[in-house]
Amino acid sequence: MDPYAQPQIQCPQCGAPAPFRGAAVSLVCEFCDSTVVRTGVDIKLVGKVSALVDNGSPIILGSRGRHHGTPFEVMGRLQVSYSRGNWNEWYVEFADGTVGWLADAQGQYSIVRVKDQSVVAGRVPTYPELDVNMVLTIDGIEAVVVDRRGGAYKGAEGQLPFEAEPGMIFHGVDLRGWNGEFISLDYGTNPNHASPVPYMGEAIDLAEVGLHPLRQFEGWRFTGWQGQPGPT
Amino acid sequence: MAAHPPQAPRKLFREPAQTESVQCPACGAPITLRGFGAIEQVSCSHCGSELSPADSGALQILQQHQRQRQQSVLPLYARGTLDGIESEIIGIVWRQCEVDGVVYPWQEFLLFNPYKGYRWLVYQMTDGQWSLGGALAGAPKAQASGHKAVVFKKERFKHFQTSVAHVSYVEGEFPWQVRHGDHAIAHDYVAPPVGISIEEQTTEEGGADVNFTQMQYISAADVWKAFGAPGSPPRTSGVGNLQPNPWKKGAALLWATFAIMIVVWIGACWMYLQARDNQVVFEKNDLGLQPFSQEIEVGEKGETTTLELKFTARPLSNQWAYVDVMLVSQVSEEAIGFGATAEEWHGVSGGESWREGSNTETVTVGGVEGGKYLLQITPQAGAAAGKPAPTDLKLAVRIRRDVVLLRYMVLPLLFIIAFPIIGFMAGRVFEGRRWANSDYAPSS
Repeated sequence: MDPYAQPQIQCPQCGAPAPFRGAAVSLVCEFCDSTVVRTGVDIKLVGKVSALVDNGSPIILGSRGRHHGTPFEVMGRLQVSYSRGNWNEWYVEFADGTVGWLADAQGQYSIVRVKDQSVVAGRVPTYPELDVNMVLTIDGIEAVVVDRRGGAYKGAEGQLPFEAEPGMIFHGVDLRGWNGEFISLDYGTNPNHASPVPYMGEAIDLAEVGLHPLRQFEGWRFTGWQGQPGPT
Repeated sequence: MAAHPPQAPRKLFREPAQTESVQCPACGAPITLRGFGAIEQVSCSHCGSELSPADSGALQILQQHQRQRQQSVLPLYARGTLDGIESEIIGIVWRQCEVDGVVYPWQEFLLFNPYKGYRWLVYQMTDGQWSLGGALAGAPKAQASGHKAVVFKKERFKHFQTSVAHVSYVEGEFPWQVRHGDHAIAHDYVAPPVGISIEEQTTEEGGADVNFTQMQYISAADVWKAFGAPGSPPRTSGVGNLQPNPWKKGAALLWATFAIMIVVWIGACWMYLQARDNQVVFEKNDLGLQPFSQEIEVGEKGETTTLELKFTARPLSNQWAYVDVMLVSQVSEEAIGFGATAEEWHGVSGGESWREGSNTETVTVGGVEGGKYLLQITPQAGAAAGKPAPTDLKLAVRIRRDVVLLRYMVLPLLFIIAFPIIGFMAGRVFEGRRWANSDYAPSS
């Protein structure tokens, strides 16, 4: 068993181990797909998430990497869909105890961390007022809106820091900065307010964070990132 | 692991992802799926119907077509290594834009590597030029002043063209939905050999996105080599919008060569000036208008030299004087002839007094064999019409050998300067051909 696991918690649905770790609040049982939610010492069964779609991501639960020198591990995945596709938000925990998200959309990656809402509250337009190509200054960083769309939680696996209800539609805006910064503003389910949750970070590529192990693909060989340890 | 799990975990994505073979629900043709579930759309190569995999894995028809399959310049599922990354062509889109009533079609090949993501290989059907694109890791900043431009990571990209790109043909798989008739506004910015393409697209449910693509020039030959394509690539014409300017690329070498040549030239000029003796071989300051002859010695036997004749006549007033100088070799009896004129004209016209001419002229003659010569000087003189010819002129004639000939120094300099000028002009011509395809073409 994982030495970092807290006292053994079991899936209320099937009895399999539910190895909650760190800041995780919600866990998708890898045996029965039930979502198990931890609130304090209580364990609650939320129900089954809809099946995760295999969207061909090379990232898997347990992939490890290093971002600005701090090791991190992929703990969970939230899959989000919009009208013309879907993307993954991977929940990562860093070795220093902080957490973040590794966004994975059509082969483009970024690592972001949540910031306090006071950074943007009242200083950014509401979701309907936003449009692509608008330039906003968020926490001192100039960035241009590149994406604005409603997305629905489609499925999840592993551990998540909040209780994700499948099907919930949230409104999000992505911005890119002049120096590779990546910012997501999460307006939640009701977009008519100016206090989104800001997630700030930067665009990355998997080689640069040395992510491994990775998924295998028929007909392709992964031989490790150049200058990085390969998968074991 | 737990002692007795109720059932084995079913989908941890730990098993290798597989390619799949399915049937087109519209026409029944076989379709291979090679994008490992990353795909949101597959277009049947046979009938062109646009299909989307449902969550169950079954394909549903997005748009049904009955169209002829088009032959793209590279085939679907070909693999090639570009920029050190192996990729497979999993999707092909033909797009086109219309500028001044002319349709410019191009083919885009979606390159896929499951670990490195997606790239685009773009083939311009009108001129055979290629470029390679990938996601830009950031956003370019629009510049407020000057030629419309964007800056990314300190590099300035000049606006080249803005057009509306329409999808005219789709084949293969895409991680997002691409439909026949889709259109996007594409802004192309260039800093050859790289560029940035900015595409704005709106989706039917009100979403919108803008994509920044980093483009780079790639030669047709490199594409052909990368994919091991048979034969040779379609011929290119004109200058690609990202094609590196060979004259700019060679500019550093050209200027370095120029600097070296200038240093060599200065050294050579100095040596040339040092080696001249400028010795006076004949000088007479009190010649009249009578012919004069004298034996003189010019330079060393067997060597050639340059002679300079300086002729002065005074006083001249609306008059002219001329000396015909003949050097007759004592050895070969061959003659070298040259002459010099002195003149002075003045008058008043339109209330303005004017004066022109000079009472001194200097002429040089090169390639004179060294040795003994008979010098014959025949002066002539005259005046303006109706005025008497001068009779009491004082003529001065001086001949020096081994003088400095300016053209010996100037001609090589012109030659040296010509190189960078020609390079610069050729570079400008190349840029002119590049920009002839842009929104800034002089004729349109």
